[in-house]
Amino acid sequence: MAQDKKYYPIGQRPHELLFYPPGDEPLRRRRLPGTRRHLFKWRSRANPKTLQQERRLADKRPLWWAIGLGALVIATPFLSNSMITIAAIFCMFAAINVLWTLVIGTAGIFSLATLAIVGIGGYAAAALNVWLGLPWPLMFVAGGLAGLLIGGFLALPSTRLDGLYYALLTMGFAEICRVFVVQLKALGPTNGSINNVGSFIPKDWFLQRPGLLLGFGGAFLLLLLSLLIFRIVNSERLGMLLQTAREEEAYAEAVGIDYRRARMYVFLITSGSLGVIGAFYAMFYMSISPSIFSLDQLLLLFAMIVIGGLGRSEGAVIGTAVVVLIDKGMLELGPLRILLIAAIMLVVTLFANNGLVGIREQFRNYRNRKKSEARARRTEKGGEVMPEEAIEFTDKQEIYYRRFQKRLRDHLKTLITDELIEEHRKSPLGKHSDALNRVLNYFRRGEMADKYAIMRQPDGFHRYKIVAFSGERGAPPRLVDDRIYEDINEAYHAVFLLRVNDLLES
Amino acid sequence: MDILGTIIHGLNLAAIYGLMAIGISILWSSVGMINMAHGATFAVSGYAAWIVAGAAKPLIAAAFGKTLMAKLAMAGVTVGAGTLAGALFGAIIYLLAFLPIHDKPNFAVRSLIVTLAINLATVQILLWFFGPRQRGLPKLFGFGKFEILGVPIRYDQAGAILSTAIILGLVLFWLRVSRKGLEIRAMMQNPEGAVLSGISVRWTALPVTMLTGALAGLAAILLSQTIFVSPTAGALPLIKGLTIALLGGLGSVPGAVAGAVVIGFLEATVGALPFLGQRYVLFAQFLFIITVLIIRPRGLGGLLDETRE
Repeated sequence: MAQDKKYYPIGQRPHELLFYPPGDEPLRRRRLPGTRRHLFKWRSRANPKTLQQERRLADKRPLWWAIGLGALVIATPFLSNSMITIAAIFCMFAAINVLWTLVIGTAGIFSLATLAIVGIGGYAAAALNVWLGLPWPLMFVAGGLAGLLIGGFLALPSTRLDGLYYALLTMGFAEICRVFVVQLKALGPTNGSINNVGSFIPKDWFLQRPGLLLGFGGAFLLLLLSLLIFRIVNSERLGMLLQTAREEEAYAEAVGIDYRRARMYVFLITSGSLGVIGAFYAMFYMSISPSIFSLDQLLLLFAMIVIGGLGRSEGAVIGTAVVVLIDKGMLELGPLRILLIAAIMLVVTLFANNGLVGIREQFRNYRNRKKSEARARRTEKGGEVMPEEAIEFTDKQEIYYRRFQKRLRDHLKTLITDELIEEHRKSPLGKHSDALNRVLNYFRRGEMADKYAIMRQPDGFHRYKIVAFSGERGAPPRLVDDRIYEDINEAYHAVFLLRVNDLLES
Repeated sequence: MDILGTIIHGLNLAAIYGLMAIGISILWSSVGMINMAHGATFAVSGYAAWIVAGAAKPLIAAAFGKTLMAKLAMAGVTVGAGTLAGALFGAIIYLLAFLPIHDKPNFAVRSLIVTLAINLATVQILLWFFGPRQRGLPKLFGFGKFEILGVPIRYDQAGAILSTAIILGLVLFWLRVSRKGLEIRAMMQNPEGAVLSGISVRWTALPVTMLTGALAGLAAILLSQTIFVSPTAGALPLIKGLTIALLGGLGSVPGAVAGAVVIGFLEATVGALPFLGQRYVLFAQFLFIITVLIIRPRGLGGLLDETRE
């Protein structure tokens, strides 16, 4: 029987991707080896209507990540040489931006020294390779160590200064690095850049197709690693500690969270990783130049994370994709590119609360607000239960009772005319017409709370006042008005008028 | 090394940087906005002055010939055009970066990003229209120098120092005595309290942005007596102004003045020292500012508690 029933797709549920595992088997959830984490966030529930077991993917972000990154890997080998370079640059900048998001978003340190650390890592690795003959696999180690060292140096004032002051300091640091490199006597002939750096890309493959593909592969690996670091730092212990600190620093301190130390750790971890990226950068181009420390490059990177949305790894990657595609992919536009990027930045910041990735949430909030406004407008009518409210009532009888009452009131309102009121005024008691009888019966059945009554005054026999019951045992009735009626029929009619008034207002 | 000459040079730089820094500082403390488009205002005013001066030159020459009157008229036109363009650009910044988002969450960061975008776009548009070539403005104060107590002072240096002092004095006086100035100062002290006592945020922010824009325009005219007008000319004054505003403690006008004087003299001294030279000026400035900020995290004039939240 139940199987034959046809269900119509209503609401959002039909669009939900659901799986129906056999309900009698125990749930097996595989953990990632070595951790207590699961790869996907499955949620099970027994559907009360169909009595079937359902499994739903509560967090679909891993799927989107896999689709996006997988498409990039599969599509890149079929692209032209210049597009492969763009894809590699995208991966490299995305890796930098993901780590930067970790500093700005997770740690809450407004640092602008990101590119400076990358540059220092790159310069250190390149210099060691060119002048001391360090083999290329060790360049990563050298870059990472240099980044860690500089990170440690820069982290010292980060707890003392706040916000803009620290941003300025780090911007100044980048400027100092640029000037320092440009002024170096040893680099004088090459205008501050180090060329002929050893690389994981063989010399004769450089700028050839296999070399470009190899470079892309390395950059992609770098992006995956930085996403892994983001995930480990942001959603594990350090990230949790810092989330508390972001919401309320004093409270975090009071419950014993040393958020300064946590921030320092995050900063050091990212600095080391950025140094590694710097070494990769030097190898990828087989050279490194002081332009990496320039303000323009920094602003372009800042535009990337701002367009994507501060504080989220998706934002960093999407923003990088947008800006790199415009900046490197539309070279024929000339200076219009920067204008376009600035315009996108302007529009996104003016209209979105948190970049492109925040738009979905912002739209949902907006829609929910509009929905509840519309609902409030509709539910004003007559105290009836609206369908979307009905789920809030456990006793469904209440819903039908209210609907009946509403219809009854609507009908009775049509019965009330001047003649009817005149009829009641002439004889409040006694035989009445059908319409007046119906109205009076409705009034008699009313709830005790706020029901009107006539109270004889103690100072005279024919002196009445109108009161209303409180509806609570022991609580005295309240006086409705001070008027004293000398005639009982007059008082009856006054009560009738009050009730009619209440009915028409409901 | 010529000590007195260095002092004059330092005062000259301090005057120009002070105009920029005070604009940034006032805007931050009253409206709560870091204006990264200040450099764009600088460049736009320079170009506006260049265009207007070029257009007015034959007219003035026809009207006054080669008299002192002609020079005065030329100076008036140039300064007026630059200041007006700065004020108008300030109004544009107000319309784009303040009006749509001033009551939305995260205003401080978002307005910073919007002004940054305005800066990027303006520099590109200027590059597009005028090309990267540098343009010279007419010399307001003429060529030549005079001597006071044996110190040779160039006319443009003296003019810059004097006019900055006069303009800044006028602005501070206006802030002190006028009704609007009172409102602006109320906003600087306590934005919420100012709103509660009936001061409109929108109608106070507009004159503030226009005033700071006009100050930047004036700084552009004065600095262009020494350097040339170009699309990217605003970057360095912006960085200098920002660093000085931070060094002085954001929002503190006396701090900004002190910071400007210190940085101006530092620049003049480092530039004049034989073993350092002009190339190490920025290096030395940043090192100095970093040292000061590490010792006094909220700058020279900044209070130690939260001045603006």
